[in-house]
Amino acid sequence: MTGSPPRGRRYVVLLLLLCGFGIILFRLVTLQVLQAAELTAKADRQHQKSVTLEGARGTVTDRHGKVLAMNMEVPSVFGVPASLDSPARVARSLSPVLRVRRDEIEKKLRQDKHFVWLARKVEPEQGRRLEQLSLDGIGMVMEGRRYYPKGPLLAHVLGFVGMDGQGLEGLERRYEPQLHGEKRVTILQRDALGRTVFPKGLKEQVPSAGHALTLTVDEVIQYIAEKELEEAVSQARAKAGTIIVMEPQTGAILAMAVSPRFDPNAVAALTPDRWRNRALTDTYEPGSTMKVVVAAAALEEKVMMPGSMVFGENGRMTIANTTIHDHEKLGWMTFAQMIQKSSNIGAAKTGMLLGEQRLYRYLQAFGFGQRTEIDLPGEVSGLLKTPREWGRRSVASISMGQEIGVTPLQMVSALAAIANDGVLMKPYVVSEVRDQKGQPFKEVLPQVKRRVVSPETARTMTTILEGVVTNGTGTKAAIPGFRVAGKTGTAQKIDPRTGAYSATQFVGSFVGFVPAEAPRLAMIVIIDEPQGEAWGGTVAAPVFRRVGEQVLTYLGVSREDQVKIAMAARE
Amino acid sequence: MIDRVMDRRGFDNFDLRFLGLIFIILGIGVLSIYSVTHDQGGSGLPFYAKQLVWILLGTVAFLIMLVWDYHRIARLAYPAYAIILILLAVVLFEGKTSRGAQRWIPIGPFAFQPSEFAKLVLILVMAHYYSKAPRVGWLQRVVIPGALMLPGLLLILKQPDLGSGLSFMAVYAAMLLMVGMRSQALGVVLLFSLMLFPFAWEVMWGSLHDYQRQRVMAFVDPNYDPGGKGYHALQSRIAIGAGELTGKGLYGGTQSQLKFLPEGHTDFVFSVFAEEWGFIGVLILLLLFVALIWLSLEIASRAKDELGALLAVGVISMLCFCVVVNIGMTAGMFPIVGIPLPLMSYGGSATIMTMASLGLLLNVKRRRLSLFY
Repeated sequence: MTGSPPRGRRYVVLLLLLCGFGIILFRLVTLQVLQAAELTAKADRQHQKSVTLEGARGTVTDRHGKVLAMNMEVPSVFGVPASLDSPARVARSLSPVLRVRRDEIEKKLRQDKHFVWLARKVEPEQGRRLEQLSLDGIGMVMEGRRYYPKGPLLAHVLGFVGMDGQGLEGLERRYEPQLHGEKRVTILQRDALGRTVFPKGLKEQVPSAGHALTLTVDEVIQYIAEKELEEAVSQARAKAGTIIVMEPQTGAILAMAVSPRFDPNAVAALTPDRWRNRALTDTYEPGSTMKVVVAAAALEEKVMMPGSMVFGENGRMTIANTTIHDHEKLGWMTFAQMIQKSSNIGAAKTGMLLGEQRLYRYLQAFGFGQRTEIDLPGEVSGLLKTPREWGRRSVASISMGQEIGVTPLQMVSALAAIANDGVLMKPYVVSEVRDQKGQPFKEVLPQVKRRVVSPETARTMTTILEGVVTNGTGTKAAIPGFRVAGKTGTAQKIDPRTGAYSATQFVGSFVGFVPAEAPRLAMIVIIDEPQGEAWGGTVAAPVFRRVGEQVLTYLGVSREDQVKIAMAARE
Repeated sequence: MIDRVMDRRGFDNFDLRFLGLIFIILGIGVLSIYSVTHDQGGSGLPFYAKQLVWILLGTVAFLIMLVWDYHRIARLAYPAYAIILILLAVVLFEGKTSRGAQRWIPIGPFAFQPSEFAKLVLILVMAHYYSKAPRVGWLQRVVIPGALMLPGLLLILKQPDLGSGLSFMAVYAAMLLMVGMRSQALGVVLLFSLMLFPFAWEVMWGSLHDYQRQRVMAFVDPNYDPGGKGYHALQSRIAIGAGELTGKGLYGGTQSQLKFLPEGHTDFVFSVFAEEWGFIGVLILLLLFVALIWLSLEIASRAKDELGALLAVGVISMLCFCVVVNIGMTAGMFPIVGIPLPLMSYGGSATIMTMASLGLLLNVKRRRLSLFY
């Protein structure tokens, strides 16, 4: 045989080889050029997931820096169904730890997905137990959970956030743009097990935290208010209650308590009527407390003087074919006595002296029928009809606090205006917004709304209101050693079924300020539908006294100081 | 008998090109292995470092196969084959099982895969047989060499190692094509194999293991996927396609880096490379392989005797078969049969064997001048 194989055979072999490489090349052109876009899209779908990274939400603190709302890093538990051998077994071990039904977990784990949430934002303790189980295909990521360390304290003002940290109620909602951390959508990669692979340099991209809020609210005053309100509501077996404590000179809210309370850490099971902030979302007919506004207007317009004599018609007066009653038969009395004894007839007469237009003007000036523009969501404007819509009895009714709907916040603001020498302030709860480094970002200054009456009128009115507490309907609001100015109110509620005033459903309230000569607090106490004794002077005035006494002590306003102030004022 | 001596003039231009191509492809392989495994934790040497060790051992094997006269090496064919058959039998009883197959003999921390070396030994056996035996009649041309191959093939298929088994048959077929058959007989055999294919398929299908059947089924219909083999094929296709024209760059291959593509450093190293370097990179790689085979063919055609030519053809056909089938399976053209990409896939036995084969090839070339002594 000769040395090498026949030439023809060599070409056959060569041809076969070239065929092989040719076919491969053709295939690779198909994959990498012709189907490239389609396959790349497939690849991207597999490994890319866009994730919204969010900076930590800003904290909320009271006026002294006590934390009221903060963030906690808590574990969220997920499963990777594809990498599980036995979903049933895994579900069995997870169920007691997550406190979720076994079949529910198993159903999730049997889904044809790369990633399923099993439980979001669980307790750290649950996370530790889960770690000990070290189950394959089950993982945890840390997520920021909003946490309210004081539980129900100030809950109605703070509000709460949703599962994804978005503010849903209260301050959380109103200050959502400031509180929420910077949001940044990042395309993260994930590997075949569904684990997130953080791109390098992600650390530098961590979005900045949200701004922090400092409130005007004082945690201690809030606590006192809530404690006393709860007790009063439960004692009176009332439906609900509200206390607002305000600084008259600034409009700063020191406390805003609403009963019944709720825990913003666990709102899932609650309904909106538990968390709405009744202090500004609910209106009520104020009753006699409205007489303060009518009286101040009459003094300012000089249609009445404190000493002006008013005839009480012996407790019965007919206006527009209806009869107005007083709770006692009153004859002639001074204007001041008329307020102190809370005469409906006297108030009606005063209102009529003012006339529709002037009465309406003053009601508006004091802020009724419009929002106070406090920095909280859900505020209503109340119900104040224009004089054109008024009936023949309206002036009298409104003067005694009927035919008008006000919010507790409107009423306390109006009284605070009297305490503040006749200047109405805009109420507010956030005093400062700080950036993530703690530097002041925005300071909120007290805002004057308008002067409603002259300082003289305000002082005269204060003296009259002091009389309410010393020898009028509000004696139970008296705080020993302090001069208290205020007014009681007892309003019948309108029965929604009959549309008429109910004989059993009342709103008892007391609104006032203390110390009268140099007011530190303006406060309203409202007890909604107390059972039994329903007079404002009986159910609300004592609450005013208890809260006022404790708060004054806490603030260090001593009785001696009051004496000195009074002496200084005389000199 | 003319004594054939080594060409002692050192490496010439041809040799340097040949060596250059080998080490460039080896380098690309290490780079791809590094890319896909560099962030894998774990104890011991990382894969790319181990592969460098294999390449070093492979270079030693390359030199051994280069230095000895290939005639002397060929004379060792039958004893070597006997040893390999024993080792293949040992694997069946004592071997290390991995992924349903028993292919490895553990040696310390490493595993030795006799089936890889069996390929090279078979080349030696075939070349030795055909160069010595008188080739008259069917018996000596086809049946006896077939019978020589059969015990090795059966032992390998029993492991089971479908990929090595197919390589075995490819070497045998290439030898048959070159010298084993007359032209008319070639046509008859082709016709017969086509006709017999359905029956052969039945027999083969029946002898396949479950996982092999699944692979074949997954190839035919990637949606048929009880064991996730179609997933493998699909991921490989996606990885190659996602490379597009220019690739995603080193470490940029998301499918392989994020473990969507399993076995990225062994049988599917080509997919990793294709994803990171794109069609342009793939084209260059294929050109490198074609150039290497071109040089090898030159060696074969210039071999000074039949043994040399047959050895060269055996090595070339094995090399080509592995390259084409490996890339073909990663690109989703063939079923996944477990054939590594020569010079690129991670693996000690395969790397050493491939380099030894190439050493043998160069050996054939460098002896050609000795005729004139």
